[in-house]
This record gives sequence, C-alpha cells and structure tokens, in this order.
Amino acid sequence: MSDENEFIPNIVYGLCAWCGTGGSETAAAHHLKYPENIKPFRVMCTGALDPVYILRALFEGADGFIVSGCHPGDCHYDTGNYRARRRITALKTILGTLGLDSERVWLRWVGHGEGQRLVDTAFEFNDHIKKLGPNPLKSRRDS
Amino acid sequence: MDDIKWLQGKGKLGIKAFFQDILNKGLIDSVLMPAKNKKGNSYAWFLMNKDGFLETSDPIPPVMTIQGANILKNMTKKGESWSKTAVVLRPCELRAVIELTKLEQINLENIILISFDCPGAYPLTHYISGDQTSFDQKFDSSLYTASFETERNACIACNQFTGQGADIQLCLLGASDDGFMISASSAKGKELLQNVDGAKADNIETQIKKRDELMGKLQKEKDEKRQTILDRFKDTIYGPENLLNVFSACINCHNCRRACPICFCSACYFESKALNSEADNQLNRASRKQGLRMPPDLLLFHVGRMNHMSISCVSCGACEDACPENIPISLMFSLVGRDTQAVFDYKPGHSLEEPIPFVVYKNEEFKESEAHYTKRHQSACNCNTK
Amino acid sequence: MEKIYDSQMKSHDFIKALFEKKIVSGLGTLTQLPNNKGVSFSLLSDAFDIQKCMPFYPIMPANAAIAVSKLTRETSPSQPVAIMLRPCELRALIELTKLKQARLDNLILISFDCSGVFPFKDSKYPTDTMLDSYYQSIKEATINNNIRQVCSGCDHYVPVGADIAISLIGRGVHETLGFSFGTEKGKNIQEKMGLSQASEIQPANLEKLTIERQQNKDALKQNNKISNLDALLDVFDTCISCHACSYVCPICYCKNCYFESQTFQYYPENYSQRLTKKNTLRLPIDRIFFHLGRLSHMGSSCVACGMCSDVCPVDIPVSEIFKAGGESIQGVFNYQPGQNLDAPLPLVTYQEKELHEMED
Repeated sequence: MSDENEFIPNIVYGLCAWCGTGGSETAAAHHLKYPENIKPFRVMCTGALDPVYILRALFEGADGFIVSGCHPGDCHYDTGNYRARRRITALKTILGTLGLDSERVWLRWVGHGEGQRLVDTAFEFNDHIKKLGPNPLKSRRDS
Repeated sequence: MDDIKWLQGKGKLGIKAFFQDILNKGLIDSVLMPAKNKKGNSYAWFLMNKDGFLETSDPIPPVMTIQGANILKNMTKKGESWSKTAVVLRPCELRAVIELTKLEQINLENIILISFDCPGAYPLTHYISGDQTSFDQKFDSSLYTASFETERNACIACNQFTGQGADIQLCLLGASDDGFMISASSAKGKELLQNVDGAKADNIETQIKKRDELMGKLQKEKDEKRQTILDRFKDTIYGPENLLNVFSACINCHNCRRACPICFCSACYFESKALNSEADNQLNRASRKQGLRMPPDLLLFHVGRMNHMSISCVSCGACEDACPENIPISLMFSLVGRDTQAVFDYKPGHSLEEPIPFVVYKNEEFKESEAHYTKRHQSACNCNTK
Repeated sequence: MEKIYDSQMKSHDFIKALFEKKIVSGLGTLTQLPNNKGVSFSLLSDAFDIQKCMPFYPIMPANAAIAVSKLTRETSPSQPVAIMLRPCELRALIELTKLKQARLDNLILISFDCSGVFPFKDSKYPTDTMLDSYYQSIKEATINNNIRQVCSGCDHYVPVGADIAISLIGRGVHETLGFSFGTEKGKNIQEKMGLSQASEIQPANLEKLTIERQQNKDALKQNNKISNLDALLDVFDTCISCHACSYVCPICYCKNCYFESQTFQYYPENYSQRLTKKNTLRLPIDRIFFHLGRLSHMGSSCVACGMCSDVCPVDIPVSEIFKAGGESIQGVFNYQPGQNLDAPLPLVTYQEKELHEMED
C-alpha cells in the first residue's frame, strides 16, 4: 500500500568504518536489504563523530540519525566508542531538555558480522521516525 | 580542618588592608583584583605589586566586567606566573578557574586563589548606563547578607555563593563593620595565613556558628529558588517553536562565546571553514527550509556550544552580560547544564581531581542511551524472503 | 542623474514578479521571522513567503554584506540571485568583493535611499508608533529621532552602483516603488519587467536633507573628537575587550585576527617585566591597541554602518570614532569605500611618487 502523501523520512545512518560499515557489508553478503531512504554516513570511528554533526543533520533536513559502531570493548581504535557513548548521552540529554525530540537520535552498537542487526535497526528506526513524523526544525527558516 | 582568623576592619576597607599587609610583608609579590577604571564608572582587572596597590581597588565589585578566569588564563596560559600572585575571584569565577585548570588553560603554580561570600552583581549594561554611586552604595550594604536585589539572571538563580574551594575564603556572611573571618583550607592558604596577624576574637566560635547557620538557611533558599527559576524557564523555551522564539532576536554575533570563560578555543568550530559552503548549496538549503536565515547556523551554534561546554558551565552569566540583545542565554545554558551535569553526576569547578566527564569513561555505562534491540523486524524478514 | 520609473508595483508584487518572470531564482532580503516578532536577513529560493519580506524595515541585525559574503565567498550562485541592501551594506559588499571575500557574479544588487535603522538596545521589537513615525520621516525627507547616531550623520544615504535603486525618500514606503536602473544588468531587468516605457517620477529634492545630515556629521565628529591621550583612554575606559565590534564589522573578515593571535598571548616573563616597570598593570593588556590597530587595518574601507556601536555591551561610540578616523584615512588617499569596484584599495596599491607630505 503506497500512499502518495506518505511521509518518507530522511534518515542518516552514521556508521564507523570498521564494524559499522562491516555490518552493512555483511548484510549485503546475505542479500539483506534496508529502506532506500536511509543514507549511510561513514566516519572512521563513532568517536570521531562530534555530536554537532548530528545536530547539523537534524537542523538541515534529516528526520532522524542513527549511530552504529563497534561494540564497547571492540573499538578498532580502542576507546573511540566509549567517547561516543558519553557524547551521545550528553546530546540526547540536551535535546531532551530543550524539547527537541531526543528520540530522533539512536545509538545502537553493531558488530562486523551483525548484518541482520543493522538491517533490523534500519527498519525499526524508519518505522519509529514515521510515527514521530517530520522533524519540525527542518522546515524552519530561523533555525 | 580550616585555619580561621578574625581580621579587624570594616568590609572592603578591612579586606584591602589585609592585601596591603600581605604585600608589604612579602608573603605575596602581587595581587590580581578589580579596581575602579580611570573614569570611575566601571571596573577593570589590575595586577598590582606592593608599590602599586590602588586606593580604588575593590575586591568585591558590584559588577562583573570581564570573567576573572579569562584574565587568569591570559596571564598563565603560556606558563606559570613568575611572581607569587593572590587572585580575588567571585565564586563563579573561581569555579571557572578550576575548570580551566583541568582544561590546561590555567597554571595555578604560584597562584593563591581567594574567594568570598558573594551577594551577586548588577547586569553590566544596567550598571554602565545607570547611577553608579547609588548602585555601589546599595551593593556595599549587602556585603554581609550575601543576597541583594538584582536583575542579573545568573545571580538571581545562583546557589553556589561561597568561596568554597579557594585557598583562602573571605567569610563575610554574618560579619559586621567590626571585622570579618578569613579562613584557609589548603596548604598554600594555611601557609599564607600563618603570617597574618589576626585580631583577638573571643567570639570566633559564635561567629563561625552564625555564618554556618546563615549559610545553611540561604543555601536551602537558593537551592529551591534555582530549581523554580530553571523549571519555569524551561517551560518558556521547551520545544522548537518556543526555543526559536527565544533566539529570534539573536544576531549570531557570538559575543556569548567570547565572554564565556570555558569557551577557550581560539579556532571555534562554529567560526571555521567547516561551516562555509557554496552558494548553490545555500540556495538548496533555502529551498528545503523555506528560506535560510543569514548568517546561517544560528541554532546550530547555540545547541552545538551546549554540547561542547554545558557540562563545565559554571553559570557565571558572563554570556548574558555580553549579549547585545538581552537574550536570557545564561539561564538557557544553566538549564541545559543542570541536566548534562546531572547525567554524569559532575559538579563543574568543585574539584581539581574530578576529571571532566568527556575525558574518562567506564567500560559499562549509559545502557539507557542505547536503543534496545529486542527482536527481528517484521519488514526486514518480509523484504528479505522474496 | 538616472531617471526614476514608476513600477506600478509595491515591494511584495515586485518580489513576486522577479520570481514569476524567472529573472531570479533566489532573493536575499530582510524577512520577518516565523514568530512574527524578530527580523533577520534571509535567503529565499522562491516566492513562497513573500508576505514576510520587509526590505525597508528599520533594523539591521547584521550587516547584509556579511550574509552575501557567506553566500558567495566560495562560489557564485549558478542562477541569478537578487539581494536587497541598504547603501552602507552595498558599499561594504563592494569593499568585500575587492578583498576577495565575496563575488558579484549572478547577483542583482537592489538598494534604496536609506533613512537609517534603529539601534537594537532601544528597539529590539519596534512599536507601531515608532514604525509609523519612521515611515513618516521617509515620506517627509526628515531625520527620524530614533535611528543610530551614525545614521543621522550619514551623507552616503543614496546608493551608488546598485543594479536597481529604489527611491523611497520623499515618496514613502506605502507608494508604488520608483526604480532607477543604473547598470546594464539593471536595464536588462527593466526590459524583462516591461518597464522600459513606464512613466517617470520626479526625483525628490534631497538638498535640505543632505545638508542636515552633513551638519549632524560635523556635530558627531566634534562631539566624539579625541584630542589627546587622556581623551583616548577615557572613551575606551569601560571596554571589556570582547572584540564584538570586530566580529560584526563587515570589513573585519579575518578569521585569525592579528589581535587574537599568538602575538598577543604573552609569556609570564612579559607580565613580570611590565609589572616591575609599572607597579600597576591593567589587564587584559592591549585594550586600546586593539582599537587603534583595527582602525589602521580597516579604516580605509570603513563604511560607517554603525554595527560596532550597536553591539558594544558597554555603549562605547565605536562607530562614531571609526567613522571619523576612517574618513580621515580615506581623505589622505582620496578614496571612497564602496563607490567604485574598480578603484583599488589604497593599502594594496601605490605610486612611485606620492605622499611626500607624510615624509619627514
């Protein structure tokens, strides 16, 4: 059932170059698909992701942002994902305090071989954002 | 156990006499504290040695012109001070100094930190454009009560009003025109205080008790007041509509960032090439967002700055003093800081040993930030069985 | 003197026509914010929200030349974009173009004769009374009481070099717009808009207004004259070295300002030596130096827009001082900032024999 006016969310999927991208490659190897409207965004490590990049995406047109990378303890650069976890925590706290929908940012660790998990996350988040609706900030000239 | 002495002298005159005394005795080489400016209508920071101690100096000015931590940062960023310097700081300036020391922007070697029970301050523009003499009088008469009427948002909402954490504290709360207590908590402070002649005070125990009681009462009042003010403020800014309303007057001048002691980055991300883009890209953005406010990235600057520094925000209010549009930015950052600091159970400016939350981590923590994965997604199954 | 044509359109119709006739695919102008209170310069890519456009609104939240520089510094737009600016913003834009911080290709510059703007402090959200009195002063060609000090003394209030110049003074903002098409680009648009045969409007007599403004300018210069060191120290006595004046200045484009560079981050030895010499040292150092230095760096291009005074947290009359200082420097080089794109910046050009009077 496709509705012309159906809201197709604009989602950015932040993936680390190692486990995150690896996960998407594993998914590809198993011929798993995920929705087309989810755009992968590769960073070397989730620890290299300044939350400001997530904010920029949300203010400029993204309806949601997922961050996936190596599980804590398995970071390719040892401690990057620990940093990411703290930063995303701070980001979600701030979005929550300001009423800017901290639910539009998800953090879920995905290992190199966890293709199914990555694809499931993509679908789950897509549905989640569809329920939340379009991001009110993206069509505001004053943001 | 703190060393406590009682010094004779009326309010600020007594405090200034103390500084002249320790300068004369060579216990310190120089003192860094505010004094009246040339015209006498404002204050500025002065580094003074024994022969240069100004008559017009004022350890507790009624206005915060430049955040003291910024001054100390300028002085010691490139290396430890060559002279033993006592610095007189408001409690919020002291907390900023502690944070900046952890951020390696201040070197506390040879520096003795002195703070006091702070009544608050006037908003900067308000003070400059008003009747300074009457402001000064009103302020000075509140020295012993640590509480006075002001419109400065950060001071109204302040609940950390004593010099706790400094090497030496000037205990003015509950004092009288006869004299005041001075206490030292650190080794540095105690060493200095040893050579200071306190006056005979039989009732020092009573004085301590009186101050403790007043402090307890005020602390409770101020704690509640802060929560109420921040909660009420949250209602006015909550949600995209309200938030953008508050920032509608903002002209993106970044004065708040420059006034902020914690924002020490000389190459700020929000002023860097990273935010430059091609003309067509900006037109695309304009078409997507029904227009593009120029200069762009205003909300990004504010929320991004919160992400970067709200965890160390000491609620000093320098940002709001510097804002040309009177946006309640210090309340905004205090509100967000309250939550980000609580998440990490962190108290900015309290302890040199407490690391800033972004530089440490635990192997297992904040599971609640992760999106919990329970089961395979229906569509994922359907999509992939074709 | 260019002829003024009656466009038979008011500002919203004009903007709509620009988009509908595909003359432009973008517009930069002052717009009301969605909350219906504040205004800001905005880039619009279509005629969607025309009712919110307020090109003549008397507030300058930022010098629009900075907005245009942000837009075009890296590249020019691939389709024409119209920019509506005040004369001082236009002059600042010309200067920025010479400084390689903006590009004018594919931009259609639209300006108008300016009656000043309100300072932020007094009028963040001007009342209807204030606005009505302002619009009245436009119609009567008088100087409104509530505008920035530098605006009241500005005698460059008629735009030079715009593709389209709108004549407001003497006519008012509620009449149909009177256009002059000063450039080739402008004349092209005149044709595209079907205004080649439009009826002409008699230009307003601005003599009296100009004389009044020149008198104000002289008064400002006199009142803010700095004749000796004491006066200099006095005027910048409350300065808190926030550098906001530099940041909002359209001409001060340097990302790594000299006065914030390593040169001015002193080693402890420096502080120690100064203190030994002076016994009392006001901090931060170089408070006055910053202002004198900034004046010498950008004074030759200062367009006296008044943003610096407006943003100063301690109400120092920076723009009055810089206007006077800037004009002296410009006088020595016989240079008028922003009037001519081909006139080279005085500090990047030279003649072998000149300025002998400056030599000792």
